[in-house]
Amino acid sequence: MSSVLIVFKKELREVVRDRRTLIAIGLAALATPLIMTVISQLATKTATQTYTVGYSGEIPVGLDVLLQATGLKLERVDDPATAARQQVDIGVVFQTAQVDEYYDPTRQSAQIADTRLQTVLGRYEAAKAEAALRERGVDPGVLHPLPIKAHPLSSPIKAAGNAFLSFFLPYILITMVLTGGLSAALDSSAGERERKTLESLLLTPAPRSRILIGKILAISTISLVAAIAAIASMLLALTQIALPGAEGASSRITLTPLAAGVMVWLAILLAGTFSSLTLALGTLAKNFRQGQAYATPLYFITIFPASIILFIPDFNPNLVYYLIPILNAVLVLRDAIVHNTVAWPALGVTSASLVVAGVICWLAALRLFTREALLVRS
Amino acid sequence: MSPAAVTVDRLEKTLGKNKVLRGISLEANAGEIFGLLGPNGAGKTTTLRVICTLLAPESGSVKVLGFDTLSAPEEVRRRVGVVTADIGVYPRLSARENITYFAQLSGVPDGEVKQRVGAVIDRLGMESFANQRADSLSSGQKQKVAIGRAIVHDPEVLMFDEPTSNLDVLASREIREFMVESRGRGRCVIFSTHVLHDAERLCDRVTILHEGSVVATGSTAEVRGTHRDLEDAFLELVL
Repeated sequence: MSSVLIVFKKELREVVRDRRTLIAIGLAALATPLIMTVISQLATKTATQTYTVGYSGEIPVGLDVLLQATGLKLERVDDPATAARQQVDIGVVFQTAQVDEYYDPTRQSAQIADTRLQTVLGRYEAAKAEAALRERGVDPGVLHPLPIKAHPLSSPIKAAGNAFLSFFLPYILITMVLTGGLSAALDSSAGERERKTLESLLLTPAPRSRILIGKILAISTISLVAAIAAIASMLLALTQIALPGAEGASSRITLTPLAAGVMVWLAILLAGTFSSLTLALGTLAKNFRQGQAYATPLYFITIFPASIILFIPDFNPNLVYYLIPILNAVLVLRDAIVHNTVAWPALGVTSASLVVAGVICWLAALRLFTREALLVRS
Repeated sequence: MSPAAVTVDRLEKTLGKNKVLRGISLEANAGEIFGLLGPNGAGKTTTLRVICTLLAPESGSVKVLGFDTLSAPEEVRRRVGVVTADIGVYPRLSARENITYFAQLSGVPDGEVKQRVGAVIDRLGMESFANQRADSLSSGQKQKVAIGRAIVHDPEVLMFDEPTSNLDVLASREIREFMVESRGRGRCVIFSTHVLHDAERLCDRVTILHEGSVVATGSTAEVRGTHRDLEDAFLELVL
């Protein structure tokens, strides 16, 4: 039997018997749908919740009906400005020719109530203006000399769902590929040194490069299993959970076969790179705990690229950006999810970049794994 | 006379800023227990690590059964088994699985692995705990696993580096008996220890190291000379 296969099977056997790794994978698979459910419920609650408007003065005729129909409950208060700090969500003073609004922008409930109030007042104003024009025999159309009729090319609800997936899915994928195999990687490197099995392992005639490949393959497998388990559970949850959409409609998010294929391909490439990287870091460490400390900065590497998509959804860089590992995976995945297309040159550059990064990490791990200091320090 | 199983010739080695070995030479033969003696820090473990290819010689040469450690390290490792005081084993594997793993990595043919592992378990009296996970074994049992994995590929050279330092009296005696048995099988046994009393009882020939240099070498009787025991001889050599 090849020494790569011998090491691969032994490492997998150890992982299967390691509660830490199994619990981490299981929790990730369970946590994702749980988080999705909480997000869904919060979103639904936010969309349907009634907010309180503390007011003083006389409400214009008909406006109270409009406000209550929009989920704004009216409550008379003495001082709307003071009440808007704690007691109610926003405060409004109705005067003859003006409406004063008081709200705290740091409170989410105040922001939502403000948006609803602005919408209602806008419609109320328009209706009043149109009525006044009609009374004077003027066509209300003069208020809209260039009316706009929008023709969205895809469902706005679906777009919102895709935007959500384009951030969340790459984030879950990259995080799980990294963390799913991290414990196994550290156990297989720093753990060997800590348990004092490393010397015996290196005393076997098996070439060290093959030992290392066996370990990397095993860790990559665990990482992939963890990532696919987490994503599968998330997608399963999404088929059951409806996210609230515009105009009270709801949407169910699905992943197209193309996006799923791209995701699996990128997960394989990322798993190889991360496995080599974490194994190299683990080889530098004297024990498991030190290895965890060395690996901690990697979490930021996973969060940062996904955050770019969150804050700049339309970030469309040129091909050079696709040379940056991890960021490139996030961008390709976003395109596959949002636009259901793959820019093959971008995918090609991304794949080449991740393969090169993986090879560099592997060479680094091999160099660290074969140096004398590895044993002298232990 | 047959060539020596292990030949170390003017070996030098520096670790960090410390010159650990300063041109040591020695020969160990098949069918003998060769003692590598000296206080802590004398260079015994470094010498063994160079012999088994874990460290590369800085100058000088080391040959095991005619194979140079620098040019043919894998051939050397096929022919060497090492037991140390660090009895690290894979805790989530059973004793049998631990030994099987090393048998496979040491190149034992697939069809022979099971039989070879079974023979080692019989020989070391491990039947009662062979299928137990290693993390539940006692120190003595773990040491047997460590010996089992070192001998499962039937190496011609066996090296023991302070093998009894973490063991109780009974387990230590079993190790000593195993070394004597291996000598009887014609193996070259190198026994590194700072416990001179053990060495005197077991070794046919000894080399005493002090601060990286050989200060005495020869048969145990020759090195002891007119002194009461090896310890007295050693003290006179180094003080």
